[in-house]
Amino acid sequence: MTARNSIQLIDLCKSYGTVTVLKNINLEFRPGEVHAILGANGAGKSTLLGCLSGAVHPSSGSIVIDGREFKGFAPREALDAGISIIYQHFQLANSLSVSDNVFLGDERRTKWGFLDKAGQARITSEVLARIGLELDPDEIVEDLSVGEQQGIEIARSVRREPRLLILDEPTAALGKHEVEALLALVRRLAHELGVAVIFVTHLLGEVMAVADRISVLREGQVLWTRARSEVGIGELVAAISPDAVPLETRRSREMSQKVLAHFHGFRSSYCGPFDLAINEGEILGIYGMLGSGRTDLLETIAGARRPWSGRLTLQDRELHFKSTIQAMTAGVALVASDRLAQALFPSLSAVENLMMPHYSQMSRLMRKPRKELGVFRQMAADLQLRPSGPTTAGSAFSGGNAQKLVLGRWLCGLRDIALLLLDEPTQGVDVGSRAQIYQLLRRFAKEATGRAAMFATSDPEEAVALADRIVVLVNGQVAHVVDPSIGEAELLSLAQTAEIAHGATHQLGSKEDIAL
Amino acid sequence: MTAISNETGRAPAFTPSRIIILAINFVMPLATLVLMAFFAANTTAFLSLDNFAALISQNAAVIIITVASAMLLMAGYVDLSVGSVMGLAGVVAGLVFLDAGSVPGLLAGVAVGLGWGLVNGILIGLFELSPIVVTLGGLAAARGIALALAPNAVYGFPEAVVALGSGKFLGLGYIAWIALAVAAAGVLAMSITPFGKHILSIGVNPRAAFLVGIRVKKTILTLYALTGLSVGAGAVLIAARLDSAPSGTLGVGMELTALTAVLLGGVPFTGGRGSMWRVLLGVWFLMILRNGLALMNVGTEFTNIISGAVLVVAAGLEVLQLRLRKLA
Repeated sequence: MTARNSIQLIDLCKSYGTVTVLKNINLEFRPGEVHAILGANGAGKSTLLGCLSGAVHPSSGSIVIDGREFKGFAPREALDAGISIIYQHFQLANSLSVSDNVFLGDERRTKWGFLDKAGQARITSEVLARIGLELDPDEIVEDLSVGEQQGIEIARSVRREPRLLILDEPTAALGKHEVEALLALVRRLAHELGVAVIFVTHLLGEVMAVADRISVLREGQVLWTRARSEVGIGELVAAISPDAVPLETRRSREMSQKVLAHFHGFRSSYCGPFDLAINEGEILGIYGMLGSGRTDLLETIAGARRPWSGRLTLQDRELHFKSTIQAMTAGVALVASDRLAQALFPSLSAVENLMMPHYSQMSRLMRKPRKELGVFRQMAADLQLRPSGPTTAGSAFSGGNAQKLVLGRWLCGLRDIALLLLDEPTQGVDVGSRAQIYQLLRRFAKEATGRAAMFATSDPEEAVALADRIVVLVNGQVAHVVDPSIGEAELLSLAQTAEIAHGATHQLGSKEDIAL
Repeated sequence: MTAISNETGRAPAFTPSRIIILAINFVMPLATLVLMAFFAANTTAFLSLDNFAALISQNAAVIIITVASAMLLMAGYVDLSVGSVMGLAGVVAGLVFLDAGSVPGLLAGVAVGLGWGLVNGILIGLFELSPIVVTLGGLAAARGIALALAPNAVYGFPEAVVALGSGKFLGLGYIAWIALAVAAAGVLAMSITPFGKHILSIGVNPRAAFLVGIRVKKTILTLYALTGLSVGAGAVLIAARLDSAPSGTLGVGMELTALTAVLLGGVPFTGGRGSMWRVLLGVWFLMILRNGLALMNVGTEFTNIISGAVLVVAAGLEVLQLRLRKLA
């Protein structure tokens, strides 16, 4: 491959109305180099990637590729300019073959205009060989492992001979082996094939293993760019989340010493054993990355997933839920993550969204519309719901308000909830609603006796801001139980260290990671 | 939408697209009225209480089965076996009428429908088999069984059965009363019972429904059982009215008629929305279309062409409405 010029971002800015998301970004992506981009949630990473992939149009500034200056791209132009992006969620057609997928949307034709299957298979084999993957081009994608599917995504990109390959949290869905293989592949792509690679991840172990240079974004600006060899994990952690929790999120730590819920050797399919007591009035945070088992744990407790082994007592009653309705009746409810997929009814009205778990509880045969409306109005006021109209469709609520609505199901008092479980309680929620939701949860746990809440989060800031006590969950195991006063930097590094240690004890060949 | 309307949830001002959205709601009622006016003007027999009463009796099974199918589709599920199972239930009822008398026959017919519905419900609701596949299989199998049991029409039913089929109360046939009662029950079920809300929740987001404690599998099972029950009931009522159970024709095409009525009533094929009132309007539209054209001596082929065209137009308007809503 011929020597290439680097790709430069010059004074790139993006603002939405009065909100500035990216501010004078100057970055250079060099061929043959893996460039990691780090930053907390909301630092502007996805907007930056969007500018490069064509999903977002920059407000000002430019992108220079090979001396050509672009003010922004349409997605097709980005592809033509040699920029290829691989998302966390694969964009593969599962029932088609490997070569079909590699050429999807850009099929080769014979001179008669038919699909050139043989030619596609030949080139696919070449590309696979180039990235060091041994796969039959005729194999059907859904028969492959997740790691191999990831490989096909990469093969698809590599076939277009990209100048710039962007990997957005590429390891989220992968197992440890596959992560290793992917990181090796990424290094190969850059160092041997001369591609400029942008690698975005939250996992600092991976960054240290794969990156040549590292840039940290904070509040829409580039904090610094340095060579990997010049920085340590500690510095990265400090750069990503400077230890500053806003005052209003600090709370009084008054908590009774009375135990509300007790886990004894509790196991879900992936997590455990879990031995822990939750006190009345406590908000217990479970801090863990994707794949740590946090969702599995919460859903099992809420009766939505099996198996369940070991014991859980609530107010000294022994529990074992076989369904969500059993859990609700016993006073345990779950606010699931990913509202749109798992919690909201977009085409139903606000009052229906709020009341859905309670209709059969309020009455068996005839509903009581007037009472429903009364409950809704009360909750809309308590939650400061906007819009507050009972007939507003679920889809009309913004992230924060939709979350308040969904949360309201368990705060409205129609069921006696003693243990409220929340999975990523403020994912996709704006800052204002976030503070409100924290306040609502605290009120729930502290203002009445016999209640507690347990939430899972991958955001260290949230863990520190909301929890009274934090459990660090790594690969289904409790790695640490800590006080939130340790701050998010310390928490993040505890989790990272536990993650790396776990990898070291469970994985051969990952020693390289730790050494770095 | 303006920022203010967004904040308060109050209805926004009347913009052209909002007017179109609202107007689309009136297309079906208006089309029904126009159709009725047209038939009233062009035939002498159409606009009379007697004709309407007879129409409801004739279509008793259609009405009953459409109500059940509508609830099923609102949950996002479909039953293509209703026509064949109706044939089977009618034939079984007929054979038992001749063998054991009227009450055992009625019970047997209803039991066949209910039983078949339960099996559908178990396979689809509990074991999560594809509704299309399972009920398409039923469409073929039930008709086959009906024909095997009785290659020719079964007829000559006991007097009590004939009386049920042709008797009247206040000028309206018994079976018409039953159909109207089922229609009323359908409206009430969707509007005032928890069950109705659970059906919609499953149609909109089954995962969320499951997580908030709705018994999704049981609800689907119940819906198929109810559909089967209504098929069995429809079968015996029509057999009683005809004083005959023709194994080859009883219920043929019922799945399409019921589905057309439900879709005309604005229930999307994916479920999650819909009003039982509008579904009943959809049935009524199909009923008068057939009746009016028959009175005008127009062949059934035109009935089919028109109802097909109307269905596609209605679907198009539905899409337009959704698009405009998203823009609004």
